[in-house]
Amino acid sequence: MANANPPVLVAQGIGHVSRNFFREVGSVFWFIVNTFEETFERIQQGRVPFRAASFFRHTQRAGVDSVPLVGLVSFFLGLTMALLTGYQLQRFGTERLIPGLVAIGFTRELGPLLTGIMLAARIGAAFTAELGTMQVSEEVEAIEAMGIGPLRFLVAPRMLALVLLMPCLSTVSNIAAVFATSLICKAYFSIAFPYFLDLVKDSLLIRDILTGILKSFLFGLVIAAIACYRGLTVKGGAAGVGSSTTSSVVTAITTVIGLDTLYNVVYTTFYPT
Amino acid sequence: MTTSTHMVQMRDVGMQFEEKKVLDGLSIKVEPEERLVIMGQSGSGKSTVLRLILGTLRPNSGLIFFKQFEITRLPRRKLQQVRRHIGMVYQYSALLSSRNVRDNVALPLEELTDKTRSEIDKIVDEKLNLVGMKDSKELLPEELSGGMKKRVALARALVLEPELILLDEPSAGLDPVIASVIDELIISLSDNSKVTSITVTHEMESAFRIGTRMAMLYQGKIIEEAEPEQFKQSKNPVVAQFLSGSTEGPILEGSLDAITKK
Repeated sequence: MANANPPVLVAQGIGHVSRNFFREVGSVFWFIVNTFEETFERIQQGRVPFRAASFFRHTQRAGVDSVPLVGLVSFFLGLTMALLTGYQLQRFGTERLIPGLVAIGFTRELGPLLTGIMLAARIGAAFTAELGTMQVSEEVEAIEAMGIGPLRFLVAPRMLALVLLMPCLSTVSNIAAVFATSLICKAYFSIAFPYFLDLVKDSLLIRDILTGILKSFLFGLVIAAIACYRGLTVKGGAAGVGSSTTSSVVTAITTVIGLDTLYNVVYTTFYPT
Repeated sequence: MTTSTHMVQMRDVGMQFEEKKVLDGLSIKVEPEERLVIMGQSGSGKSTVLRLILGTLRPNSGLIFFKQFEITRLPRRKLQQVRRHIGMVYQYSALLSSRNVRDNVALPLEELTDKTRSEIDKIVDEKLNLVGMKDSKELLPEELSGGMKKRVALARALVLEPELILLDEPSAGLDPVIASVIDELIISLSDNSKVTSITVTHEMESAFRIGTRMAMLYQGKIIEEAEPEQFKQSKNPVVAQFLSGSTEGPILEGSLDAITKK
C-alpha cells in the first residue's frame, strides 16, 4: 500500500463499496425468494405456513399501532404544505389548485414515502432487534434444528403483515393530509368543504391512486425483507443487535427513497403527464 | 454412498471458521442406542460437532451420515424432515423467550404434526411430567432457573420422539442434584425409549455417569474412544491430563507429539 496513490485508493474504495452493495442487494433478493419458496412449499403440503395469531400480532403492531404516528405526521405535513403552497399560489390567484396539489402529491408520492420512512424506523427496527436477539440467543437455530423453516415461521408473517398494511397506512396518511389541507383551505383561503372535495375529485386520477398503492406494497416488502434479513444475520451479541438495528433502519430508509426515485423515473418515462 | 448400520457416522470431517481450524479430519461412529459422550476442552469444537450432525453448519470437508442420510448433501426440505428425528438440547437451552413453557414444548407438534390441540396437550403434559416441570407450564422462560430451562429444553427435544438426541453441556452450571436428575433422565431415555444420545461435556462426573462410550476431542480430532472404565485408564497423556485436571502435560503445551507417542 506504500506505493498506492490517491486515485488508486479512491478507485479501490469505490470498488469495495460497490461490491458490498451488490452483494447485499443479492442477499436480500435471495432472502425474499427463499422466504417465498419455503412458504409455498408449506402451502403445497396442505398446511398453513404460519399461525394466524402470529400474523395478526404483527399486523396489530405494524399497522394499527402505527396509525396515530402516521396520521399525526401526515396531518402536520398536510397543514404545512397547504399553507406554504397556498400563499404562493394566492399571489397568482390560483389558490383553488391547493386541494389537487396536496391530494396528488400525497396519493402518488408523499403518502407512501412518508409511511415507508416511518415504518422503516418504527417497525423495521423492531423486527431487526427482535429477530437479532433471537439469533444471538440461539432461538433461531433451535427452530431450524427442530425441522421448522425459520423463514416461513419467523419472516413470512412479518413480511405479509407489512406488505398488506402499508397501503392501508398510506391511505391513512393521504386522508390525514387531505383533511389538514381542507382545514387550511377553509380557514385561510375561503374554500368551503364541498368545493374542496370537488376540487380533489376533479384533480385525482385513478392512476395516481394505483401508483401510490403499488408503491406501498413494494415499500412494505422491501422494509420487511431488509429488517428481517438484518435481524437473522446478526453477529456479535448485544452490540451486534444494536449495530444491525441501526444499519437496518438506515438501509431501509435509503432503499425506500432510492426505489421511490427509480419508480418515478420509470413512471414519468412511460406516463409523462 | 450410504450407510445404515450406524446411527451417526462422521468421516474425515474438517471445519474452519475464518482462520481458525476447529475440526481437522474428525471421524467417529455412533451405534444405535448407545450414549456417546464427547469430552474436550472449552473451544475444542464439541458444540460444532453437534451442529454439523444437525446440519445447521456445513463442514468444509468430509462426510456426515445420520442413518442412511448424508447430511452434508441433503437438500433443505429433506434436511428439515431428517431433523425431526433428532432432538437437540442447547447449552443455554434456547427456549423461545416470547412463549411460555407449554408453548415452547408444543411448538414442534403444532408445526410439524397434524395432532389436535387435546392430543398436543396430552403429549406436552407427559413430557413435562417426565422432566418434572408439569406445574410450570404457564411460566415464561425468563421466570425459570437454569436447571428448569434445561429440563424444558429436554422435554421440547423429546416431544417428537426422536431417535437421536444431542445434548450440549446438559449439566453445565447446574447444582449437583439437578445435574444428577438430568443425567438420570438421559439414561432412562436410552434404557426405556431406545434413544441414542450424543452428549458433549467437560463435566467429568456427569460424563462418566451418562456415557456408555467416551471420546476425547483434541486439536480437531478424536484422539481416544473407549468404554468409560477403559477411558479412565487411558495411557494417552492428553486424556490422562484432562481427566486429572493437571496443569502438567501436553494440553497446555498444545503439542500433538505427546499424543502420537501413545
